Amino acid sequence: MSHAFARARRNEMLLAYALLLPSLVFLAIFTYWPILRSVWFSLHDVLLGDPDIYWLGAENYLRLLEDRLFWKVLGNTAFYTLTTIPLSIAAALLLAVALDSKLRGMAIYRSAFFYPVMIPSVAAGMLWVFLYAPGYGPINEALTSLGLPRLDWLYDSKWALPAIVIMSIWKYSGYFMLILLAALKLVPSDLYEAARLDGVSARHRLLHITIPLISPTLYFVIIIGTLHSYQIFDYVYVMTQGGPADSTNVLTYYIYQNGFQYQDIGYASALANALLVFVLGLIGLVAVTLGRKVHYLGER
Amino acid sequence: MKSTKSNLTRRRLLASGLAAPFVSMMPGVLTPARANETVKLQFMYPVGVSGDINTIISGMISDFNATHDGIEVEAIYAGSYDNTEQKVITALGVGEPPALWLPINSSLQTFLGLDALEDITEQAKSDDIYDDFIGGFLNTAVSDDRLYGLSYQPSTPVLYYNKDAFGALGIAKAPETWDELFETAKALTIRDGDELKRWGLTIGGGWHDWMFEGYCRQNGLVPWEKDKVLWDRPEAIEALSFWKTMVDAGCMAPASTWQGSANDFMAGSTAMLYHSTGSLTNLRKSSPFEVGVAFMPKKKQWGASQGGGPIMIAKKQSDAKKEAAWTFARWMTNTENQAAWSRATGYLAVRKSSWEQPEMQQYLAEVPQAEVAMKQAQYSGAFLQVPAYSRARDSLKSAIDRTLAGEIAPAAALTDATAEVNREITRVLRRQKG
Repeated sequence: MSHAFARARRNEMLLAYALLLPSLVFLAIFTYWPILRSVWFSLHDVLLGDPDIYWLGAENYLRLLEDRLFWKVLGNTAFYTLTTIPLSIAAALLLAVALDSKLRGMAIYRSAFFYPVMIPSVAAGMLWVFLYAPGYGPINEALTSLGLPRLDWLYDSKWALPAIVIMSIWKYSGYFMLILLAALKLVPSDLYEAARLDGVSARHRLLHITIPLISPTLYFVIIIGTLHSYQIFDYVYVMTQGGPADSTNVLTYYIYQNGFQYQDIGYASALANALLVFVLGLIGLVAVTLGRKVHYLGER
Repeated sequence: MKSTKSNLTRRRLLASGLAAPFVSMMPGVLTPARANETVKLQFMYPVGVSGDINTIISGMISDFNATHDGIEVEAIYAGSYDNTEQKVITALGVGEPPALWLPINSSLQTFLGLDALEDITEQAKSDDIYDDFIGGFLNTAVSDDRLYGLSYQPSTPVLYYNKDAFGALGIAKAPETWDELFETAKALTIRDGDELKRWGLTIGGGWHDWMFEGYCRQNGLVPWEKDKVLWDRPEAIEALSFWKTMVDAGCMAPASTWQGSANDFMAGSTAMLYHSTGSLTNLRKSSPFEVGVAFMPKKKQWGASQGGGPIMIAKKQSDAKKEAAWTFARWMTNTENQAAWSRATGYLAVRKSSWEQPEMQQYLAEVPQAEVAMKQAQYSGAFLQVPAYSRARDSLKSAIDRTLAGEIAPAAALTDATAEVNREITRVLRRQKG
């Protein structure tokens, strides 16, 4: 009896593994193997286009320490992540709450705010290069008509990275909004009714009912946002090529420069591993701080 | 019985039909049949200047294919010089380089470091290459007295200026010295309150390190040797300080892009522009005003670094392909084609005989601007031919940008960049020595 049960259970396990196997193979070929290889390469002098590699030990990692640009790039990446994620999620949350009503025509608004997500990133980058153009760009025209000073945006080392942050918020918040909207639909409406009857203000309803109840989704959005933000490459490549004066150079772009422009695959691999540590650290930080505060509905 | 036999035959037929495409892909198989087949060559090229270069090159290649039985060149537009180099190097990495490519001349040591280039010294010697090519151009593809490419699109930066703007201010001639340049740029700058209407001068961004090398040469310094850069020398620091002075005076744009600066000039939002001679035809034809062309102003002497590059032939390919590649490279650089290419773009024809052609003489009479860069070329040399040149260029551009943005002093920026780049060069050389 118990033998038959054990066999059935084992068959079930085998089936599960069989179903998981194809994706495991893909993960192994396209993710785990390259990671292992990049660790191996980072310990060598590897030149793109040349099959010979030479052992260096820790040299590529020691180079990181004395590489002025690496620290600047790390700072830029951190700045980008720490501004883009909170701001775009805050914008998404406000949009989601505002659009979570049954008024007529809301679908049009939702589509409108989601639209930037569907624009290919290179096209979006080119569009914003035009919007930010110092001479004839609409953004500067708008600033002038408001009586504000014009900016050089992508040509100014102080404003180029904030300019990319602003565009990223525009690009990402619609996506986050959509996920948050779905979560809002699951918040029981009787909670709001009770709060309204007790005369709780809209701000307090948001802070004490909405945010706690959608916190699992918010947590998910923060993790996804973190992953998105360190992957930023296309905007930098299209809009600024890392300039002016390295002010928009971020880790992924710097890895690309070292690996493909300078053919220095060994150093690029060391940088990639630094990025891996950076991202794991960031996600870990999010998990131990915000992750503990997540409230799951129906959780005991 | 009968039916079985016919079945087998059919199966065999099917099997051989399936195998045929694979067999023909195997090297060495069907060679006799292939001898009469067309040799297919891939040619990767960039567009490095402003204008419709792509159409011109594709046109030349269709002409070549139409007139050469047995060779078919596939033109692959590969983006900028950087993109082109990356594509070629990636292709080299997997052992399938294009038959020929057209990189910036600075990349010579990079490709030699990869053992990627066919030595064409002997073919060139038995041809008229050494006699007819202009020496200064051919030399940009020479390392240790061996030739590794045929100069195709040499250029130097020149000073383009808006003649109408000059005329309106009564300025009769282009500036000839750094001091005159500064004065002229100040006079040409137009501001409306805080708002800038026209820059006096823009140095084409993205290649401003190339112009900067010209400034060093004008100040009596070739800022690199075979295995190091010399940007920390006083001549170089003086050049960068001069740029900073012009930026601080508000008459020179602190930053720009390569295409953007050409567009700004044509739109009249900058009155003087340092850009490649390869942009001449486009700037001349697309500007709604008369375009003047002058030498880059001098300090101690005239000076410029050569941009553009040679057509290089891959070492790792069959002899048949090498021969066909030579035929193609030779054709692209023949007298007529170089003369036509030069007229269409503004790049400098590489052959003496091209300049002597009647069409070319007539063109020079009509467009005297075209001759300026040619005359300036006698004061020019190769551009930054050091190992790791790509990193060196980015490092120098960053040093210049940070200086002009006011983040760092010229001497500190250049000293740091020099130390940084020389460390990288040492690293690459250590590798090459094994």
